[in-house]
Order: sequence, then C-alpha cells, then structure tokens
Amino acid sequence: MSAAHRPSDETLAAFAAGSLDEGLALVVAAHVELDPESRRRVREFQAVQGLLLDAAEPVAMAGRPSVGGGRAVPVAFGAGAPPVEAGMPRVLSPYALGAWRPIGIRIAMRRLSVPGAQSRVFMLRAGPGIALPHHRHTGFEWTTILSGAYEHEYGRYAAGDFDEADAEHDHTPRVDPVEGCTCIVAMTGNVLFQGWLGRLLQPLVRL
Amino acid sequence: MAVAFAFTVEQMREAPAVARGDRFVALFDPNALIAAIARSGDRAAFAELFDHFAPRVKGLLMRGGASAELAEEIAQETLLSVWRKAALFDPAKASASTWIATIARNQRIDIARRETRSRLSQVYEILDEEAPERPDEMVAGAQREARVKAAMTELSADQYRVVELAFIEGFSHQDVAKRLAIPLGTVKSRLRLALSHLRGKLEDLR
Repeated sequence: MSAAHRPSDETLAAFAAGSLDEGLALVVAAHVELDPESRRRVREFQAVQGLLLDAAEPVAMAGRPSVGGGRAVPVAFGAGAPPVEAGMPRVLSPYALGAWRPIGIRIAMRRLSVPGAQSRVFMLRAGPGIALPHHRHTGFEWTTILSGAYEHEYGRYAAGDFDEADAEHDHTPRVDPVEGCTCIVAMTGNVLFQGWLGRLLQPLVRL
Repeated sequence: MAVAFAFTVEQMREAPAVARGDRFVALFDPNALIAAIARSGDRAAFAELFDHFAPRVKGLLMRGGASAELAEEIAQETLLSVWRKAALFDPAKASASTWIATIARNQRIDIARRETRSRLSQVYEILDEEAPERPDEMVAGAQREARVKAAMTELSADQYRVVELAFIEGFSHQDVAKRLAIPLGTVKSRLRLALSHLRGKLEDLR
C-alpha cells in the first residue's frame, strides 16, 4: 500500500522529534504504519536526531548507574500491549477503544481513550455514498483513512492516506459510493458543522 | 556550511581502529560496545558507552531548555534502557547514535508526560519494530544514515540552525522564534525551506 496524500515534512519531523500532541501523533502513526514512504521519511528524521546527538556539546553527568550483575535482560518491545483487533493498525493497541455507536443513518463512531492527548481522538465509519456534513475548523482535524475512501474539495483519500486539515479548510467529504469509509481522526479546537446532520453530530462528538 | 557540524562528520568518518605508530589504538566503537552488552552483560562496555553518550544526551536536552536535573534523569534512563535493550539493537537498521537518540526521545516523552499516563513511547516502539516493507530496506539503513549526513552538511548555517533548534526544542515554533529572536512567520518559512532543502538533497542522493 502506498499513500497518495502524506503529512508535510514539518509534521513528520515534529512526529519524529516526539513533540506532537499524543492524539495527533497517534493519527500520524497510523498513517506511518500503513505507508512505507512516510516510514522512510520518519527514519531519515530520526537519523537527523542521531547526528544532532553526535554534534551535541557534552555536559558532565553527576553519576553513572550501577547495572545489574549477570546478563542484560532484553525487553521485548510491545510484549505487554494487548492484542489489537483484526484490521486495526497495531499502533492503536496501547489504547482502549470504545464500542461503535451509531450517530446517524449509516454513520458510527467509537472513541479512543488517549490519556495524554489535548486533542479528541475517535474513529468514524460511514456507509457507501454518504455525504458527511459540511464543516469548518477552528483547530486541526487530522485523519488517516483505514479502509474505503472519501473525496472532498482537496482530492480523493483512500486507505493509508493522511488528511491534514487546519483552520483554513472548509470541506464537505463524500464517502466512496461502493466501499464506504473507516478512518481515525484527531481534532483540536472546534469544528463548526452546518446542516441537520451536523447539528445531530455536534453534541455526540462533544465539540 | 555549518562548521561545528562538518567537524562531527569528519569524526564520524574515523575507522573503529587506526594504526598509530606500530600499534593499533582502539577508538570508540559503539556498535561493538552494544554487542558486548547484549552478548555478556559487559559492564566495562556499558561504562564506556555511558561516558560517551550520557553527557551528549544531557547536553542536547539542556540546549533545548531542559533543567540540568531533568536532563540528567533522562540521560540516566536512556542509557539504562540501552543496557536493557542492547540485544534489540540492529546496526543494519540505524546507527548507534540514531538508536540512542530515539530511546532518549521516548524517555523524554515518558518522563515529561508521566502524570498524563501517556502511551506514546509504546506507539513509537511498535512502529520501530515494524518489519521493513522491501527486502532491500535493511541494506538501505546504513546508506540512509550516510545520505542524511551528507544532506545535513549541505544546509546553510542558517538552515542548519533552524532544523537543529526545531528538533531540539521540542519543535515549538514559538520557542524557536524566541531563541533566534526572529518573527514566528520567519521561523515557519525558514523551517519549511530548510526541510524542503533537506528533502531535495535526500532525494538527489537516493
């Protein structure tokens, strides 16, 4: 799978530096898991950090810890993480997923509990051909498409694609007429929905 | 051309051991040290690795505005983590410096967001263990490091400094603007320009 829409280099660099909000970072991570090209870019930015470490001015340490006798015990990465549901990105496994709840006709959402996030994180599943309510943002709305596709003023977004919308965006996504769409979204600030579906969605997304 | 950086690149080109007079003088070889820790829990190797990297992790964090205490704690935890995870280090995937820098990032996140029960470092770990998509990707690991190094040396001093500060300072554009005493808009456009320049160099070198 290779994506047609990727995060900007600024976003991937901030992701690699570990300075994005946890919810925004999680949505970027879901994309990076699905897209080898972005994974390559993140590794390049991590190599930049390695170089900066090499170039850093050393500052004397107060002490050196004593390390245990015997052999080093390797820690298996992710060993403690609960198994992830089939079809879900593995990066979601550290988080509790709520149940799918219908929030309209052929639209359902489920929350992700991301304790460290300032943003709200949820998954959205929409049936084929649905037009999501026209809306605009006061903050960020970052989306990674997990399956299916949608289309709006800025192009078509299919599985693995990343949609980086900010306050300047104002859009009306239309869901793929055959496949429907499932995506993960992190949102900061407010989203201003218009129309009846938006009014329905508003209190449910707690915006 | 960033002078301080060019010096580092020269350092990196040094072979693990060079002939000096009639005998070989062992130089710092982090891969061998990490391998020795993984193989036999070699405490002398750990001490050498610690003495090289911990002060640099601390220095880098303090440059980014961390207090000496916090930087010390993160550096300690980072190197302890290197001790525990030595067997997971794969030199084909990334250099020792890059590997340790990512561990330091994860420790920084864990410690800074302790009270919020952040799980972000687990997310990074899951991504890092993700199997490479193409079989040639492992070979590309060392080449990638060399390419990034070459591309970084081609940044102008200005561009280098913006990229450096953006990574070091937790990437708050506001902080970088304050540190460099230039307007926020200028930081944003310089950063975009520096990253796209870096991107261009990286693609040229592919």
